[in-house]
Amino acid sequence: MFRTPQRILAGGLAILFLFPLAWASVASVSPQPGSAQIDGWGFGNYRTLAAYQAGIGQYLLNSTAVSLMTVALTLAVSLFGGYAFANFRFPGRNVLFLVTLAILMVPYATLLIPLYVLLNQLGLQDSLLGLSLVLTMFQLPFAIFMMRISFEAVPKELAESALVDGCGSFRALFHIQLPAVKPGLITVGLFAFLAAWNDFITPLVLISDSAKMPLPLAVANMRQQVMGIVDYGATEAGVVVLALPCILLFLALQRHYVRGFMSGALKG
Amino acid sequence: MRRILLSAALAALLTASLTACSSEDGGGTVAPPAGAGVEGVDDGTELALWTRAPLELQANALVDAYNKSHKNQVKLTIVPNDDYVAKVGAAAGSGDLPDLFAADIVYVPNWTNAGLFHDLTESIGKLPYADKINQGHVQAGTYEGKKYVLPFVLDLSVIFWNKTLYKEAGLDPEKGPKTLDEFKAQALAVQNLKKKDTYGTYFGGNCGGCNVFTWFPMVWAGGEEVMDAEGKSSNLGGPAAQKVYGMWRELQTAGAIAPGSKDETGATWVAAFQEGKIGVMPYPATLLPTASKSVDVGVTAIPGAGGGESTFVGGDGIGISKDSKKTQQAWNFLSWLTSEKAQVDVLAAGGSTVARTDLADNQYAAKDPRLVTINKAAASPQSKTPVAVNFQQAFNAPGSPWVTLLRNQVYGDPSSLEKDNQAITQVLGQ
Amino acid sequence: MPPSLITAPERPAQAVEPPAGRSNRRRRRSMSLTGWAYAAPTALFVLIFFIVPIAIVARMSVSDWGLFTGNRGLNAPENFTDVVDNRLFWPAVGFTVKYTVVTTVILIGLSLGLALIVQESNRWNGFLRTSFLVPSALGLASASLLFYAIYSPQSSPLGFLGVSFLGTPNAALWSTVALIVWRFAGFYMLLLLVGLQGISGDVYEAARLDGAGRWQTFRYVTLPLLRPSLALCTILCLTGSMLAFDQFYLLTKGGPDNSTITVVQLIYNMAFFGGNNLGRAAALSIILLAALLVVNVLQFRGLRDREG
Repeated sequence: MFRTPQRILAGGLAILFLFPLAWASVASVSPQPGSAQIDGWGFGNYRTLAAYQAGIGQYLLNSTAVSLMTVALTLAVSLFGGYAFANFRFPGRNVLFLVTLAILMVPYATLLIPLYVLLNQLGLQDSLLGLSLVLTMFQLPFAIFMMRISFEAVPKELAESALVDGCGSFRALFHIQLPAVKPGLITVGLFAFLAAWNDFITPLVLISDSAKMPLPLAVANMRQQVMGIVDYGATEAGVVVLALPCILLFLALQRHYVRGFMSGALKG
Repeated sequence: MRRILLSAALAALLTASLTACSSEDGGGTVAPPAGAGVEGVDDGTELALWTRAPLELQANALVDAYNKSHKNQVKLTIVPNDDYVAKVGAAAGSGDLPDLFAADIVYVPNWTNAGLFHDLTESIGKLPYADKINQGHVQAGTYEGKKYVLPFVLDLSVIFWNKTLYKEAGLDPEKGPKTLDEFKAQALAVQNLKKKDTYGTYFGGNCGGCNVFTWFPMVWAGGEEVMDAEGKSSNLGGPAAQKVYGMWRELQTAGAIAPGSKDETGATWVAAFQEGKIGVMPYPATLLPTASKSVDVGVTAIPGAGGGESTFVGGDGIGISKDSKKTQQAWNFLSWLTSEKAQVDVLAAGGSTVARTDLADNQYAAKDPRLVTINKAAASPQSKTPVAVNFQQAFNAPGSPWVTLLRNQVYGDPSSLEKDNQAITQVLGQ
Repeated sequence: MPPSLITAPERPAQAVEPPAGRSNRRRRRSMSLTGWAYAAPTALFVLIFFIVPIAIVARMSVSDWGLFTGNRGLNAPENFTDVVDNRLFWPAVGFTVKYTVVTTVILIGLSLGLALIVQESNRWNGFLRTSFLVPSALGLASASLLFYAIYSPQSSPLGFLGVSFLGTPNAALWSTVALIVWRFAGFYMLLLLVGLQGISGDVYEAARLDGAGRWQTFRYVTLPLLRPSLALCTILCLTGSMLAFDQFYLLTKGGPDNSTITVVQLIYNMAFFGGNNLGRAAALSIILLAALLVVNVLQFRGLRDREG
């Protein structure tokens, strides 16, 4: 079959999709007025970013801590939750599942004030743990859905054989089923990481201590340090620094992550 | 099903307890700020201070200088400009405000009204220079006869022009506009250079706050008011205001306003001038040092149609929050903030306007006549800080009736003026 | 055909059935206890961090609740009538619906096209898949900031086009749609790819033997079999678009002339931009939640009817 036009079209589309990121990387080191890199090419914008307030090290550390906690919590909750929804009948099961999915349907901004009040009551105000708990909640609809279909895709015989062998459900989960749902877990973990790493509005409301701010908040602050001027250089550098770990992780896990989606639907 | 009911009941219970707690204000007994004298207490307490990102430069300089010379230590939190209200609102609702926080001076009436600040009347009264502090800010921070707020950073609107472009256009580079007609003529002269990427003027065509800041003084300069004294009804359909709109409309028709203006939400409204692409425009005085890096700037007060001089006394006020338990220590910061040390050695040295009339002629202003112009503009009787409880909703908010009015006047159908002005009055009067 | 992703909630549990016998009942009871034990962390999270806040929001929606002043007592149904009477309410609803339809049609159409292009596994397609997927690694806020710079006359690399990207209502809408398509097309492509790969090769073989052309195969074989995946994408896309906020908040602030103000932006404005009224914001959130529930239930219904 004659495929050249299609190839050109697809290649063109690929370039179109890669262009904004490529442009941001180039623009962040190119000279532009109103930024830290006025003359010639260089890393002036990155130096501004690195030296901003508490220093980029602190912000990266905060972001990493929040992301890792969110990933761990999301994985734990959705592993057990998905197992429960896929393998057990219990009263309230469907209601709980639908309510979990309903989290997707509520505007983010509205929930933040009640959540702020709630975290204060729990003594978790201004803490990275509290932030991670909230971010985990926002991840649950996707995570539970994903883990449920992953567990449902595990061949029945496998689960049954485990029980016949006299394994308790807990051991069956960890020894027999866990390896089978690994791609699903990786997908869920990756999504939780991306969401936690990039989130801006939740930490904005929940975190007040500047030493605990995650990176997106620092970038937002840097963007408009002078009234009526946007520092595009710092913005571009910020986008690059924010995006880089995500893209690397994404590429490293791509194979598993695609499999995670496949496993659920293929054998479901 | 029982389980669902149970959890619903539990949720309701939790909610009730939460709201019960959150509606309690930290109304316990707190030492009155004035109790410890003019200077308050400096005993090594840690104080939290919030401000918005565009004031970071000044806030950092002030906090650094204070921390170096005091036992008390101020911890600064910077919040993105657009999200500052959300942040303060979340904290205020649950009694969690920082000891000190700054607010855009036009929001202050609303916030004092809502009781977010501690009463400072007595403390301010004890300051030997109380009557020299910028009255625009102090009045904006006065509610029912009590004073709650002091000026944190002052920002005035003045006319900036690009001397280099003026020379090229055959204008006198040392003379800025003294009337609106001169403003128009000078903008058109620069436009007529037909230089690539260079325009006569610029304004925030989709930005309520920018044009409050820059157009109100054009009305005030002629002795008219933009609102009634209570801030409950709008006079923005009046004759002086109409002349202002008419001038901008003519400039727009003549193509002398840079094309980015129309969708300028305010995020970048001063950038084009700073890049040397604009002839003349009303500008924030705080940015004189920044703009001077790239442009040879001339400065004058904002004129009205028939001359006159005015400026919008903007910037941020600061107060002690209702939730602070360390009011005497927080007052120590405020008392220092209004002192000569902070005003001259920190703010004036950094190129900001001082907030005390008796310090206007300081050594830094003496070096640059433009700073004298700015300080003089601040003292003009036509210079004001507008006070209205619903100011933000009526003017600054995206999509406010003021934005609708000004866009109709410049780009759309100007005959809707009466109706648009009514819409502002309606929001103000709520 | 594989049970769809989307019908998962309606399926009976594939419970590991205990052997039949007298102890059946007790076994079932212990099963349900074990089930609850595993679901407990989920339930706890949902209860504390979702149900309780939603309950607070519901309470706000019937109360006179200022941003700074807190609860000042019940006032139902004033908030709801105030919201509907707001001058921006209907424009916001109208724009949100328009934006949702435009985004959903374009995004799903393009994603399907991309999925068909990269369907076969080979190195070139692997590269294409990765390029389309990379934008999904960015947060929506970062992506919006990036496009903000691309659209700004000050820094735009597309300045040579001489177009104002956000200056007119239509330009602002399409510029935002472009951002969303860029950010999400890869993700939906992946979901559809999964659906495509779930279609057995035998079906295509049969169609080929029947003499079906490429278009016919697509129209009468691929599309019907892909319906569950398409439905999932549509539900996600509709829900996401109806809740659109970040992109408009960063790019247009609802302008020009309030032409791009979405419902969630109106909520934000009511709460934080001048309105300072949490009661009204909560009332609008509840209205929106109800609308979303209706849309989703209708979708599920329609899907089940057609499948049944």
